[in-house]
This record gives sequence, C-alpha cells and structure tokens, in this order.
Amino acid sequence: MAEKVLEIRGLTAGFISDKGLLKAADNISLEIMRGETLCVVGESGSGKSVTSLAIMRLLDYAGGLIVDGEILFKGEDLTTKSQEEMGKIRGNKIAMIFQDPMSALNPVFTVGDQIAETLMIHQGMDRKQAMEEAIKLLGHVGIPAPEIRVKQYPHELSGGMCQRVVIAIALACKPDLLIADEPTTALDVTVQAQILDLLKSLQQEFGMSILLITHDMGVASEVADRIAVMYAGTIVEEGTVFDIFDHPSHPYTQGLLESIPGYETTRGSELYTIKGTIPRLGELPSGCRFHPRCPHATDKCRAMEPGSIQLSDTHRTACWLYQEEAGVKKS
Amino acid sequence: MGEYLIRRTIQAIVTLFLVTVFTFALIHLAPGGPTQVMIAPGVSPEAFEVQKRNLGLDQPVHIQYLQWMGRLLQGDLGTTFKNNLPVGDILWPTVGNTLVLMIAAWLVTLIIALPWGIYNSTKVYGISDQFASIVSYLGFAMPTFWFGIILQQIFAMNLKWLPLSDMWTYGKQGDIGDLVMHLIMPVTVLSLGFLASYVKYSRASMLEVLDQDYIRTARAKGVKESRVVFRHALRNALIPIVTILGLDLPILVSGAALTESVFNWPGMGRLFVSMANAREYSVLMAIVLVTSVFVILGNLLADILYAVVDPRVQLGRKGGGSK
Repeated sequence: MAEKVLEIRGLTAGFISDKGLLKAADNISLEIMRGETLCVVGESGSGKSVTSLAIMRLLDYAGGLIVDGEILFKGEDLTTKSQEEMGKIRGNKIAMIFQDPMSALNPVFTVGDQIAETLMIHQGMDRKQAMEEAIKLLGHVGIPAPEIRVKQYPHELSGGMCQRVVIAIALACKPDLLIADEPTTALDVTVQAQILDLLKSLQQEFGMSILLITHDMGVASEVADRIAVMYAGTIVEEGTVFDIFDHPSHPYTQGLLESIPGYETTRGSELYTIKGTIPRLGELPSGCRFHPRCPHATDKCRAMEPGSIQLSDTHRTACWLYQEEAGVKKS
Repeated sequence: MGEYLIRRTIQAIVTLFLVTVFTFALIHLAPGGPTQVMIAPGVSPEAFEVQKRNLGLDQPVHIQYLQWMGRLLQGDLGTTFKNNLPVGDILWPTVGNTLVLMIAAWLVTLIIALPWGIYNSTKVYGISDQFASIVSYLGFAMPTFWFGIILQQIFAMNLKWLPLSDMWTYGKQGDIGDLVMHLIMPVTVLSLGFLASYVKYSRASMLEVLDQDYIRTARAKGVKESRVVFRHALRNALIPIVTILGLDLPILVSGAALTESVFNWPGMGRLFVSMANAREYSVLMAIVLVTSVFVILGNLLADILYAVVDPRVQLGRKGGGSK
C-alpha cells in the first residue's frame, strides 16, 4: 500500500451564484492508496458528489468550478489539464459509476454499443473486437446470457442489471481508480449487497483503488478500508474503518452511527436522529459548521472554526473537544 | 407491425368518413350556393330551377351527401358545376405544386433550424442564441401575406432580382433553375414562420437532454464533446422533434393558402380559396379529402419514425406507438 493513486490537496470547489462563490467543497484533502477503498460519507448536500465530479473534471459541465487546490493523480495535477487531456484519462485511467443506473445509460443505444464505445475510444479496438470484449465484460460482471444482453437496450434490463452494465463500462479499460457515487442507493437491498460484493471482487482482481461515495454508514462498514466523513463541505473526521466505528471522535460521526437502526440501540427504543438539517451553502454558521446541531457545542465552537487534529497515525478529526485535550496542534 | 398497420388503416377509414360528413354539412350550411354564381340578367326563375334540378341541388343535403359518397366509392370525385370539368383534372396538378413548395420550405427550415438550435443549446444566451430569439419573434409576429408583399416589392419590383409571382416563367415550364428562382420568395416567407418554432424546439430539446445523467456517463467515459452532442444527445433530442414534425405535417399540405395566393402559386391552398368563393362543392370536398389523407399519413409516418429513433417505443404493442 505504498503508492498514492490519488492525492487531493486543499481542494475548494463550488458554484458561482448571485451571493458569490458557494463552496460546496471547502479545503478538502484526501489520499487514496493503490488497491484501497476510501469511503466518503455524508448527508445530501455535504459536498461529496461535488468532490467526485471535481476529480473527474466533470464539474465544469455541471456549472461548477474548481477554485483552489490540487488533485494529483499518480503525481499529475488534474486541475490544470484541458478537457481534451482529461478525455484521455476519463473512462480509461479513472472511471466513474453513478447513483441511478437506469438514467445513467443512454436509452437509444444498445448496452453493447455503450460498452464498446469506451473500448473503441481508449483501446483503439474496431467495432467487432469491441463488441466481443463487451460480451466478455458483461459475463464478468455477472450478467447471464451476455451474448443476448449485449444487443438489448437499457429499458429491457432491471436496475441491478443496468448497474452491472455501468460497472462493465467503467471497468472496460481496467482503470487505476474507480469513483462510485452512491452506486447502490437506487437499488433494492438484496441487489445492493450483490453489487457491493461484485465491486469488492473486481477490485481484488484488477487491483484498482475505489473512492466510494455514500450516505449509508452500513455500506461504508462493508467495503471501506478507510472512511472520510464530510459535513457541509469539509471533512470532519477521517480514519480507518476501525477508527471510525470503534472510536468515533467527532460528534457528527457519533450521531451518524447512532442513527443506524440496531447499532448499539435496543429494539423498541426510539431511533436517534441528529437534530436540525445540514446548513445551506451561503448560509453557513460561524465557527464550527456543525455547532448548531452539536450536543457539545461551546462558545468557542460558535466563534472559531476548528482545524484538523491528528488523533493517531490514521485518525484525524476537526473538533474543538479534542483540540483542547491535545493543546493547539493544528495541522 | 402488420396488425398495427391494419388497425391504423381501419382507424384512418373511420376518421376519413367522419371528416367528409362534417365538411359536407359545413359547406352546405354556408350561405349562398353554386347556383347564385350563375344568376345572370335574363335568366328566368324556371330555367334557374331546371338548372338546380340538373345539378341535383334540389335534393336534401343528406341525399346529396349519399350521392356524392356513392360516386366517390366508384373513384369518381365529380365534376365542377361551372364547366363540368372532372375535379381530378383540376385538383391533382395543384397537389403536386403545393408539395413542391411545401417540401422545399420544410427542407430549408430543417436544414437551418436544427443545426442552429443545436448550436444555440451549447452556447446558451450567446450572440447566436439572442439573434435566434429575434428571428423567432419576427417569424411569429409578421403576417405572412404582409411579409410576402414586402419581399415582392423589394426583390421583384425594385431590384428585379426575382420573378414577382407564379411557379414558372411562361414558356419555361420544366426548367428547374426557373422553378428555383420562383421558389425563393414563397419559401422564405414560409420558412421564417416554421423556423421560429423549430429553432426553439431543437434548442429546448437539446438543453433538456444535455442535462441528463447519461450525458454525464458519456463524458465520464472520455467521449469527445462533439460526439457527446451529436451522437449521445442528438439522437435523444430528435424524439420530441419527430413528434412535432408529424403534428405539423398537415400544415405542409393545407397551410399555405395565403402564401400561395400572394405569390399566385398554382397550388391547392390557392385553389381552395377560389373554389370556396365559387361554391364548387365537389372540388372543396376533394381538397378536404386529400388533406385529411395527408394528415393521417403524416401521423402514421411520425409514429413509425418515432419507433425508429426511440427503441423504447414498440409499434403494435398495446399502448405503444399511438399518441
């Protein structure tokens, strides 16, 4: 696990509005090693999708922009690349799968066409070769009778099947990094587990790194090596899956874990919920962004934004509770 | 597919029948009649009545309809009251002339409007997009006959670049170059009207499609932006445009009465106007019939095209295909 596949340094990205720049991702720093799975967890609106779109440089098309920071993919800064250069990386070295598989596939092209296109663009295959390869890929992602499915249109397939097709497209060129943005959210629970298993086994086979974005702590616990918890555009806690689940330090992470049904709660007791809602961009509170919802908030939390503090080699958090213990040890 | 076509044909026959009933009734409800046109000084009332009986106009309307229908089923469109000319001889040449004009106008519209709309969808609120809005407002707002007369004044009367009216210069029938010169002004007038809608349709349709998840997937695959627009987006954006094309097809045959009149184009629209004035029932009925057939064929064509561009539409399957 020595090689860093992706290193994000101080990424700030967002949207221009009437009120000025809305920072959907504010000074984000992350690393992903080869073969590792990093889960970015957070509520809707926490900036996790913007971060993933920024890495793909697809944020430009969504009306957003990268304001500051570096995204180093195998040492090369992606933020300075042209869209044309990114076109050679996207789908080839970095691939992405999306939340709603039914709408992620083009309804007017066959499944085979959509897989073959990637191969024709990046691997220089002709149509015939690419279609043969598409059939192999479909079989690989667990679709029965791939030689029939390859000629079908997305509407003829179930949601789970479509997500397998999307995964086949993403894996066609054996990418170094796979970004999966809520890949199982739109699927039934049983299908969810199958897709996660598939991703895990493919990861072992191809040795790729996965950046998985989810709002579901349960999903994160199943597949993550490390977890980064995002809140209102910042990373509030980051650590190994054991750090986060066994020693959650940030009150937000603790709240997320307590809101999982059956997690350290007894049957019949009321499910814990974090009070309030995530603040809207442009209406961020002063000080710590979480303080209006935090049970431990102090005056200091209301006044000043906490920096990141290292709790161990693998575990860091952004909360005044720990900063006081450790003295002022900002990183 | 076969079953689908049979069902559509039966629907078409019923529709056509209803159309003839209603138009026949409407035409006969209108005041005046073909005999009034024939009244001249010195014609005695008796001779007038005899003439009426000869033409079958003394019968009640429903009997007249049945007689007309009876002849139609034998393939006879009837004759004109005035000169006893077969209706077909008058009608068919005008159908061809109208189609020449309208297909030219349609092609010009689509060739300009689709690429223009697509381009504008990639540069929203750019100069080209703003200009298209101005052209659209002009197209919607300007009365066709007025615009036609202005063009005639400038390009035919003042500059003498183009022929004032008609389809051919006398003695040059069949000369394609001559036809094209005659087409320029009426096609311009007609296209501007269509252009207004189609630039907007194609722009709106493209914008909607470009916002879809599968476009993001295509970009995430590393597909070049030009290919994203022209392959992934356009195929989907064409689906609603095909529907509108089918719905507009009736205008292709019937909607040019004013333009044809202004430019003295020997088409069906102009024929309808003059025959309506003369109360030539059988010609009017024939025109309505031909137009209705075109409407039905247009809708059928649109449905078939719809199934071609959108694999989710399956003709013949229950609930699919028809609107």
